[in-house]
Amino acid sequence: MKHVTETRLAALRECYGNGDLDRRTFLGLAAALAATTGLQARWIGPALAAVTEVRFDGWGGVVQEAIDKYAFQPYTKTSGVKVVQGTFGDESEIITKVKTANPGDFQIIHSSGVEYYKRYADGGFLTEINEANIPNLKLVMPAMIEPFRKITPKLSCAPYDYGTTGIAYNTKVVSEAEAKEKGANLLIDPKYKDKIGGYGDMITRVWYGALQSGQNPNDIKDIDAVWAKVRESRDLAKKYWGSGAELMDLLAKGEIVVTDAWSGRIAALQQQGHPIAYLDPPGSYAWMEDMLVLKGAPMAECEQLINFMLDPQTSIAVAEGQNYPPALDPGKVEMTEKIKKLPAFDPTGSMKALTFADPNYWAPVTDQWTKQWDRIAKGA
Amino acid sequence: MSREDTGWGWRGVQLATFLVYIFMFAPILVVVILSFNASQFGGFPMTGLSLRWYEKLMGNEAVLRAFHTSMWIALITALICTVLGVMGALALVRYEFPGKTMVNTLIIAPALVPETVLGVGLLLLIRFAQQPRSLLVLVLGHILLAVPYVVLVVQARLIGIKRVYEEAALSLGANRLQTFREVTLPLLMPAIVASLLLVFTISFDNITASMFWRPPGVETMPTQILSMLKISISPEINALGTLMIIVTVGLPLLGGGLARLLGRSAR
Amino acid sequence: MSAVPDRRPWLLLAPVLSLLTVLLVVPIAIMVVFTFYTFVTAGVEKPILTLANWREFLSDPYYHGFLWKTVRVATITALVCAVMGYPAAYFIAMTRFRHKWLLLLLLIVPFWISFTIRTFSWIHILGEQGVINVTLIELGLIDHPIRMLYTEGAVVMGMVHFLLPYMVLNIYVSLEGIDRNLISAARTLGCTGWQAFKEVSLPLSLPGLLAGLLLCFVLAAGSYVTPQILGSSRDALFGNLVFDTIMSELNWPLGATLSIVLLVLLGIISVVYSRYMGLSQIFKGLSR
Repeated sequence: MKHVTETRLAALRECYGNGDLDRRTFLGLAAALAATTGLQARWIGPALAAVTEVRFDGWGGVVQEAIDKYAFQPYTKTSGVKVVQGTFGDESEIITKVKTANPGDFQIIHSSGVEYYKRYADGGFLTEINEANIPNLKLVMPAMIEPFRKITPKLSCAPYDYGTTGIAYNTKVVSEAEAKEKGANLLIDPKYKDKIGGYGDMITRVWYGALQSGQNPNDIKDIDAVWAKVRESRDLAKKYWGSGAELMDLLAKGEIVVTDAWSGRIAALQQQGHPIAYLDPPGSYAWMEDMLVLKGAPMAECEQLINFMLDPQTSIAVAEGQNYPPALDPGKVEMTEKIKKLPAFDPTGSMKALTFADPNYWAPVTDQWTKQWDRIAKGA
Repeated sequence: MSREDTGWGWRGVQLATFLVYIFMFAPILVVVILSFNASQFGGFPMTGLSLRWYEKLMGNEAVLRAFHTSMWIALITALICTVLGVMGALALVRYEFPGKTMVNTLIIAPALVPETVLGVGLLLLIRFAQQPRSLLVLVLGHILLAVPYVVLVVQARLIGIKRVYEEAALSLGANRLQTFREVTLPLLMPAIVASLLLVFTISFDNITASMFWRPPGVETMPTQILSMLKISISPEINALGTLMIIVTVGLPLLGGGLARLLGRSAR
Repeated sequence: MSAVPDRRPWLLLAPVLSLLTVLLVVPIAIMVVFTFYTFVTAGVEKPILTLANWREFLSDPYYHGFLWKTVRVATITALVCAVMGYPAAYFIAMTRFRHKWLLLLLLIVPFWISFTIRTFSWIHILGEQGVINVTLIELGLIDHPIRMLYTEGAVVMGMVHFLLPYMVLNIYVSLEGIDRNLISAARTLGCTGWQAFKEVSLPLSLPGLLAGLLLCFVLAAGSYVTPQILGSSRDALFGNLVFDTIMSELNWPLGATLSIVLLVLLGIISVVYSRYMGLSQIFKGLSR
């Protein structure tokens, strides 16, 4: 052993003179440098390629699949610009992400309403769309554009579709008569204990708490009564779902039989053949959705994409696919039969029959009520 | 040597052990079996065998992206961690110096501090420094998490390597670097390979801290699975799980087998 | 040895130590400082020192309840791990099975499988369409599926499933180190198997058992992913609280406060343990 080591070391000393050692070290360093540069280039690459890519974040599931199929894919085919997609289940979640991200990380968001628009505005995340680049904007219902203009005269979004959060129930367990009779109180009916679900978002829970305690959701006088109702519902609920896909999954599997639900997702379930019915109780929570463009996004490509999406043919195809009526004015654009039958569809284009959240009422209380809802959800 | 009792005491222990092994593996087996489920939903009953979920998985861009990200991060973390850890272990084992216990404790600390706290800590650091979250931060964080394990593993092996060999080399005129390269390193190889694999696994599988650190829009494999889980147990997740099981179990087994092979041939 | 203090170990340690200082020591220091900052709104805080966060934590029973719940659940988890793990470790250590390495390997393999997968696999066992419910319904023993998922029990099961190998390894390492002659001596002196176990093996394996208990407790108490996957929102643990405060509410000062509380709590337990038992036992288990 020692002999071997000795000879080996002698040979080593001959071969690895100073010169060779330096070369080896140099090569080693060079390799490491190349590796790191290569890796950085890997990550810088996508950043530089941003000009040929637009990032879209939406609600996932069947809704996003429809938008992808009827809008994004045709758009990519014609323009060559790729749409990178992300999903979220809860708009608060994406707002939080936007707050902690750099401008340009998030570009287009399928935002869910004027009350959220105000939060983006207050946070300074909005930009200005050049409306001349989106001629199809003229086809959108004025009733949908006005609320956004009230917040920012220069729009940072394009209203795209609308829907409601009503009550969904499994017709095998709950009869239509019973549902109509109980309305929002179906969600706190002890008869369905452990089979009730709900959206885990604060606004929905407080909205329904208000309806259940007989108050106007846009002008709640007694918030404690609302929290009491929320607690009541929490004790009867099996699960609070966090995304549209989860909602559909729970209803389809029969894990829950009653829940507040998004109109489009229920329409989709019905089309798949599930025994789920939908009803909008009086004062049901309606929302106007928009394609929101954030500061730092590539404006030209985003405007191009939005204009493409607002094209009546595309818009109608998407609406039929995602089951939410489009923002296009029914007076100016002929709607198909399927769209006319969609829950929440407003043929007048005036949006007067639907109850929307008042952004000026909800914005100041959001932080505080979200914290309280988080506590109640955890058992407080 | 203790006599194996054939009494019911020992039988009870045997049964308990058997049940424990079943407890450990049953859920995994269920995931694998269900990944071939032809039915639309992820649960039982199974309606037939099908590979369609694997197909769907291959087309799932988000998953592929997350996989890529995780692989790169794990590779880089493994390399850097091993280098740092070997250096640290060398210092701790081969040298005496004041403050050694403190250093030892500091190095092991990331394994003792709850990962949640580590997650928050690093986030606070970059917030304080007004830096955004980035892949660099994510990699640094993974290195932080894995370094103690490398030091422990290499230390254990290094202690077993007798100093005599190194001293012999030194006395024959080799300098420290040569000694390390020609004597210590080859003997340390099994530990280094083990470290690389260990850190790779730790980094690839990390979720608790990565949920805090990941930059917006970036998902690693486990965080991607978590967000898919929030939606439903789609059978795609089962297929993904099965693939990951094959990779994370197969790789070390392969590595171990290779090490044995190499060990035997070096004799 | 040379009279000049050797700089070499420090050179070798420099990278790793600087990494740890920057990424571990400094952040915790910053965390402590942040606990005194004033929270303005989500994502905004002012560096105006205040005791408000600590006051909120100390006075609000909401947080105390959570702390207690976390300690309780973690203790249950650790104990279940010990009860399940001890017999298995004993078997592996004492068996004369020729392929002991196989048993050990089977024990290590779950370590390699992704934590996330191991956790969500329980949904297939405990869910309404999971193995247990489907089997029971097929056998006609129940009419409706039993609600097992999204309960505290499910969370404990998930955590035990994840932590059991740690426990078994720690106990095994300890048992393996017991001089067999002691046990033979006890038997020769007339002890029954059970007595030999009680008087010799059990006490000598205590270090490993306690190390396992500590490890399982600490890992369980700090977790938030398992409760998120397997529990309802009521089953959230302290880790979830920290996560939500930082990631959802963007309340950095309060989040820092809660993190420090968690760190201190688990730190005190670890320190008390190491006073009595020393940390070397855990390292033996970890380095396996």
